[in-house]
Amino acid sequence: MTGANHRVNMMNRRQFLQTSSALGLLAALPLAARAQEALSVLLPPWVTLPKEMTDTFPGPLDIQTLGWDEIRTKIVTSMVANTAPASATEMDWSWVGQFGSAGWYDALDDLLPPELKADLPTTSIFTYDGALIGVPYNNDFRVMIYNKAHLEAAGVAAPPKTPEELLAAARAVKAAGVADYPIALPLSASEGAATAWYLLTKAFGGDLFDAEFKPLFTDPGSAGYQAMAFEVAALKEGLIDPAATSLKDVEVQELFKAGKATFDVAGWAGNLAVYTDPEKSQVAADAAAALMPNVNGTSRTFGLPGALGIPVNAANKEAARQFILWMLEPKTMADNYRLLGNLPTRISVLETLNAEGKLREGDVLIAQASVVEPLFAQGTPGWYPEFSGAVATALNAAAKGQISVDEAVAQIAEAAAAAQE
Amino acid sequence: MGRVGFSSSRFRLSRDARLGLMLTLPVALIMGGLVFLPLLSTLFDSLYRVEPMKPGNPFVGLKNYATLMGDGTVTTAWGNTATYVVLAVAIETIGGLGMALLLNAITVGRRWLLAIMVLPWCLPPVVNAIIWMWIYNPSYGPLNGILMAMGIIDAPQVWFNDRETGLFLVSLVHAWRMMPLTAIILFAALQSIPEELYEAARLDGAGPLHRLRKITLPLIAPGLTIALSQSTVFAVNLFDEAWVLNGASMDTRSVIIQVYVTAFQNLKFSLGMALSVLAMVVSLAVSAIYVLRVYRETRFE
Repeated sequence: MTGANHRVNMMNRRQFLQTSSALGLLAALPLAARAQEALSVLLPPWVTLPKEMTDTFPGPLDIQTLGWDEIRTKIVTSMVANTAPASATEMDWSWVGQFGSAGWYDALDDLLPPELKADLPTTSIFTYDGALIGVPYNNDFRVMIYNKAHLEAAGVAAPPKTPEELLAAARAVKAAGVADYPIALPLSASEGAATAWYLLTKAFGGDLFDAEFKPLFTDPGSAGYQAMAFEVAALKEGLIDPAATSLKDVEVQELFKAGKATFDVAGWAGNLAVYTDPEKSQVAADAAAALMPNVNGTSRTFGLPGALGIPVNAANKEAARQFILWMLEPKTMADNYRLLGNLPTRISVLETLNAEGKLREGDVLIAQASVVEPLFAQGTPGWYPEFSGAVATALNAAAKGQISVDEAVAQIAEAAAAAQE
Repeated sequence: MGRVGFSSSRFRLSRDARLGLMLTLPVALIMGGLVFLPLLSTLFDSLYRVEPMKPGNPFVGLKNYATLMGDGTVTTAWGNTATYVVLAVAIETIGGLGMALLLNAITVGRRWLLAIMVLPWCLPPVVNAIIWMWIYNPSYGPLNGILMAMGIIDAPQVWFNDRETGLFLVSLVHAWRMMPLTAIILFAALQSIPEELYEAARLDGAGPLHRLRKITLPLIAPGLTIALSQSTVFAVNLFDEAWVLNGASMDTRSVIIQVYVTAFQNLKFSLGMALSVLAMVVSLAVSAIYVLRVYRETRFE
């Protein structure tokens, strides 16, 4: 290689490197500019806001939707790295203890005027150490959803009011050959299976913990024990699909929508809008709701609402506050229900929708909403996810027959104690 | 002195050396920043208590490692991972060798066969697992349908209700995705064996099995070592397939799922870091055993 050629090659290499770097920077600049302009929001897939809704927000939005698990992971990794995952993010009721104790979210008490706060009864679920760290916008609670046509075909006159009546109705449906597996309940090692057990614990008239967070479910006479025994017995009796040990809550809902199940026992209240939509459900004309059965005859249920929070290191806090208030506006809430099936958290909006005949099974939903309790009266503890993970795996193992109900509840109690250490 | 790294001045680099350094700097920075620095940081943090829900990050020494030793859930996850490694590495190696021998034997349509074989490897692991989730589905999955049509089973099976079956099925899905990589590595090794060796062996009366044992396997040993090492490392790091197919179930929970649950679900980061350090040590140790063993047995005298 001659000296001249060498210099030419060196120049070419330098020019190549310089051009590449410059192009890279140029490509990155518009992206950075766009990100600064739009308000970044992180939401779950069931809140994929359509354009007709986002167009009404006064400002550009950069909405990212991620799965429920993935949102949590993104928030955790971002916050540990001291970077906001978005300016406003989803805040699930079950994350409140962890995120609150970590100090990752701004207090939003000053955002809500007293009359608006009074219209949002589930704000207490998002209060940690006296501070409101999430504003509830998605009113999820559990209600029993059933197939009217199945009950009529089986000669069952009215929806069940107690767990015993539920079993009797399911047996009648199965005997009539209307559905092979009338009860739809998830039993996989998933959060949906755990929350269904919590709901049934309330249906059997009890709670998970006492005021000092001591387990109340280990005694065979306790509600939690009976609830798990109920699930395992119904599975063994063939009233629950054997495949339920591999099914999550959303997959169980597909069974109901396809007309293969009679009772979506732990039904999502907002899902009635989906179940009664002929474009999304094969049982649209037959889906109905009933108050959650209870051994004492008085229905109980618990709330699993979704909220919006603002990370402490969010870039655009003012716009994020505007976004939260916009999500609480009656029209936005009504559209959110009409288009996506997300039930409003404001009582006044629920009542208006019901009065206008737009709330599917509105009377039942409003009656059930009036008895919604938080799962933990003391507030969701920081160790909840660890406890809930143990519930899911133990319940799954009991359903598969790998361990007894006694062993399962003992394992859960042990995990609860370990998680609280 | 243009080809020498240093010029006459001891600390002055020549132009070529500077260019070489400049070109290797990005790789060194990427490896340092994205591999070695996080590794050291993880190792360092595993000796502290890093839990966002608790104030401060006190030094705890080896306490996190001791906690892991006494945790039955972690022990189960290690057992599952060991099963994955044994099953997946065996399936990938035997199947990959078969695929490589087939590719090496045919001449017509080899590139098309190669393209088809590589397809599973091109799929993202989650997509791969979702496809197999449909195959295994107890209600409408084709696996039940095929086995019932063949008279092997008389009723649909819920495959993941049995731990051993679940472990095997997850391993199978993982091996199905990773086998093409093993096949390509071994195929490349096979291509480097001179044909004359086989011709000489044939003249000496050696049969196909004898040729495989005495010529093929020893000469592809370096490739086999690489294939075994990568199979082992990927099997130790198995996450997506087990997570998609059976969630957090203890029956199929791998060590890396346990890391995820510990760190990101329970927010016990340092405990998760300690477990990930152990997973890395195990996968390195097993790979080192392969390398040393194959090196000793195959080095040319």
